[in-house]
Amino acid sequence: MATALSAPKLTTTFSSSQTLQTLCKRLPNSLSLHSPSSPLSLSTARISLLSRRASFSHRRHFAARAESDNGAEPRRYDFDLFTIGAGSGGVRASRFAANLGASVAICELPFATISSETSGGVGGTCVLRGCVPKKLLVFASKYSHEFEESHGFGWKYEVEPKHDWSVLMANKNAELQRLTGIYKNILKNAGVTLIEGHGKIVDPHTVDVDGKLYSARHILIAVGGRPFIPEIPGSEYAIDSDKALDLPSKPEKIAIVGGGYIALEFAGIFNGLTSDVHVFIRQKKVLRGFDEEVRDFVAEQMSLRGIEFHTEELPQAILKSADGSLTLKTTKGAVEGFSHVMFATGRKPNTKNLGLQEVGIKLTKNGAIEVDEYSRTSVPSIWAVGDVTDRVNLTPVALMEGMALAKTLFANEPTKPDYRAIPSAVFSQPPIGHVGLAEEQAIQEYGDVDIYTENFRPLKATLSGLPDRIFMKIIVCAKTNKVLGLHMCGEDSAEIVQGFAVAVKAGLTKADFDMTVGIHPTSAEALVTMRTPKRKIRNGSPPEVLPN
Amino acid sequence: MLQTEEIIRLNGIYKRLLSNAGVKLYEGEGKIVGPNEVEVTQLDGTKIFYSAKHILIATGSRAQRPPIPGKELAITSDEALSLDELPKRAVVLGGGYIAVEFASIWRGMGSTVDLCFRKELPLRGFDDEMRAAVARNLEGRGINLHPRTNLKALVKTEEGMKVLTDHGEEIIADVVLFATGRIPNTKRLNLEAVGVELDKIGAVKVDEYSRTNVPSIWAIGDVTNRMNLTPVALMEGTYFAKTVFGGEPCKPDYSNIPCAVFCIPPLSVVGLNEEQAIEKAKGDVLVFTSTFNPMKNTISGRQEKTIMKLVVDAETDKVLGASMCGPDGPEIMQGIAVALKCGATKAQFDSTVGIHPSAAEEFVTMRSVTRRVSKPKTNL
Repeated sequence: MATALSAPKLTTTFSSSQTLQTLCKRLPNSLSLHSPSSPLSLSTARISLLSRRASFSHRRHFAARAESDNGAEPRRYDFDLFTIGAGSGGVRASRFAANLGASVAICELPFATISSETSGGVGGTCVLRGCVPKKLLVFASKYSHEFEESHGFGWKYEVEPKHDWSVLMANKNAELQRLTGIYKNILKNAGVTLIEGHGKIVDPHTVDVDGKLYSARHILIAVGGRPFIPEIPGSEYAIDSDKALDLPSKPEKIAIVGGGYIALEFAGIFNGLTSDVHVFIRQKKVLRGFDEEVRDFVAEQMSLRGIEFHTEELPQAILKSADGSLTLKTTKGAVEGFSHVMFATGRKPNTKNLGLQEVGIKLTKNGAIEVDEYSRTSVPSIWAVGDVTDRVNLTPVALMEGMALAKTLFANEPTKPDYRAIPSAVFSQPPIGHVGLAEEQAIQEYGDVDIYTENFRPLKATLSGLPDRIFMKIIVCAKTNKVLGLHMCGEDSAEIVQGFAVAVKAGLTKADFDMTVGIHPTSAEALVTMRTPKRKIRNGSPPEVLPN
Repeated sequence: MLQTEEIIRLNGIYKRLLSNAGVKLYEGEGKIVGPNEVEVTQLDGTKIFYSAKHILIATGSRAQRPPIPGKELAITSDEALSLDELPKRAVVLGGGYIAVEFASIWRGMGSTVDLCFRKELPLRGFDDEMRAAVARNLEGRGINLHPRTNLKALVKTEEGMKVLTDHGEEIIADVVLFATGRIPNTKRLNLEAVGVELDKIGAVKVDEYSRTNVPSIWAIGDVTNRMNLTPVALMEGTYFAKTVFGGEPCKPDYSNIPCAVFCIPPLSVVGLNEEQAIEKAKGDVLVFTSTFNPMKNTISGRQEKTIMKLVVDAETDKVLGASMCGPDGPEIMQGIAVALKCGATKAQFDSTVGIHPSAAEEFVTMRSVTRRVSKPKTNL
């Protein structure tokens, strides 16, 4: 933790930071960054040191502004930062703020595998109800495919391995407990005060946690989001992703409503665990917003594994029959015999019951907290990061936003999260990894582009005999040769695309890719050996399809 | 066997690649008889002479057998890939990638495996920390390691082959694999008669353009013993074609070539290892490592840590080398290699958002320096 020794360094940075000065000039009301405070806590001592150094004209300028806003008395706060929500964004911001010398508190609802208005858990969605349990279930479900593959490699067994659902759930839950404990330790080791309870904002500097009031110079809202189930007759019979990650037994036949990544991931999980899976989507294709060829490819590969897609079919009602099975009534008819109906139709930011309206925090039209580029809300002392702001709802992005905020508030380095070339993955089976633009976006933004694609059978499939294939695509700006987008669907896509994301973010060209020698034998090497474009798009003229 | 079918299929594909390109394929043994003349002894014994403006030697290498008594009882990698049955007990002699890969393969299939190698750790030339990780993992998977060990003799007995080590140990094995190195295939090419220079292990000497000392004769691939990897041979071949027939003389670039060892779990590296970086960097070297038990193992219960490493030039912030020992290492390293080849900095790595959850994201989230190594001061 920072001590008075570090203070002089910080003040020098303050005075010389042009960006910070500009930032402060832009801020609407009180410059809470510079509010002088009592010398009570070590961390706030730094700030008071600043206000005393009013000899610099610009600093005097800040101090004068602050004083004129909140009167004469310096304000004391219990904490420099109070964070509501101990998920990816909240923990990251809190931890690094504390490392930078701030006094930090964080509150979080008590742990439960299913989230609600009264339950959550340290670690948040990613650790407890998202990325982690999802990935563990994906691992579990992949084995059936691997058992099938193994025969071509000589493995024989009399009885096909059977899956014990209760073992998986018990181990998964034990792992979640372990992880939530680790997150608690991370906070403890960083010196962050963890308070269990429901946090609600009372005023721009006060948070109420189950009746107890805490004051803070800054408040961070990082409460994330929750699955959303649309209201239709019988929707009480439907489950969401929280429940799907913690079922008491394997679904025999499941209807998954939704065409996004969550729907596809669960389709793969349940299919791999030998459930009968039906996916109902509103659009013609799954994964709206993804590259068109990837959308087609993943759906085809998933179909080959036995998943049944019902396209352009909307759910209208869920009916429960006498034997307990569910019928899904849709715009195209009805499908019966489901043991479970799951809605994976989107997630909404958790903005209820936080006192947001009362304190005047503006929301966007889809209910997310509106923030500027520095994650500041419409109330200057209140900030928000992660899914509750509905920017790019990925854990590493929440981490980036949290880190940037900690730097902005406590390291004198106003930092804007950088949303360019963010890679991500869908852990469907086969999985998707991508970074940069889809073909359609690239054509729109850049006009002339060259498209390189490969669609091949991976080495493993040549012996397994299974119809697994890999699709890869590189989109290149015809003018600059820069790689605008890279897409892959097939085994190991997520692991493979990460390294390429460094290259794309760094603005490397197709020539740079091509001069990199391949690692052999791998699937990844195909991305550095694509010699001929499949087609060249020249604005205004139909794509030139090149002979193979 | 499916594997043989696959090899035959690929063989057929290669033949078609050549014919589609208009290349004439002659089956037989080729010998150089003049600076512009090749003699091919066909399968029926008849010899045909062909003249050519340029001759390219690309005869590769073969496994060598060390002069150990009983060496005829041992097999090399060629036979190892086509065994009729899985050895119950195998002894592998060698510390290189071929030795560790076969050790892993047979162990994975359930054989008892003893791996004997000359040095303290296998994979000489690789990053020491990675070599130690590989050794630990091989042991963790049940392979018996015999470091600083050579074999003295192989003796056939009723219960199998008796393998005697220079530590006095006796190991009974069904199969003994010699994986002690490969040597260039230059003996029967008649190169001395034509005056093509070879180095002391018999590799064809070439310049940066892959040209031998005879202007019309060139050589690429393992026969030149530069970097014996398929993609490098492909690169050398491509550059040779461009230089000689494309009108653009170009030299293959051997910097930052990534490669992988498919032991289990695999190792993959690109750029300089830590030891090389410390030597070559002008100033300090920053080493970032991440060691963790991969997510899958937390449920499976396997205790096997993945280790990932970046070596950075403290002055320029350039990433000099990256390495990883863990599942999917080779797949992960390919994209990292593109960044490294183009001189990416640690800052560029760090500014890339991670893909979550993955092992690969560790490469872009290594925040704290594990150690800073200053250049040792030289006494003048």
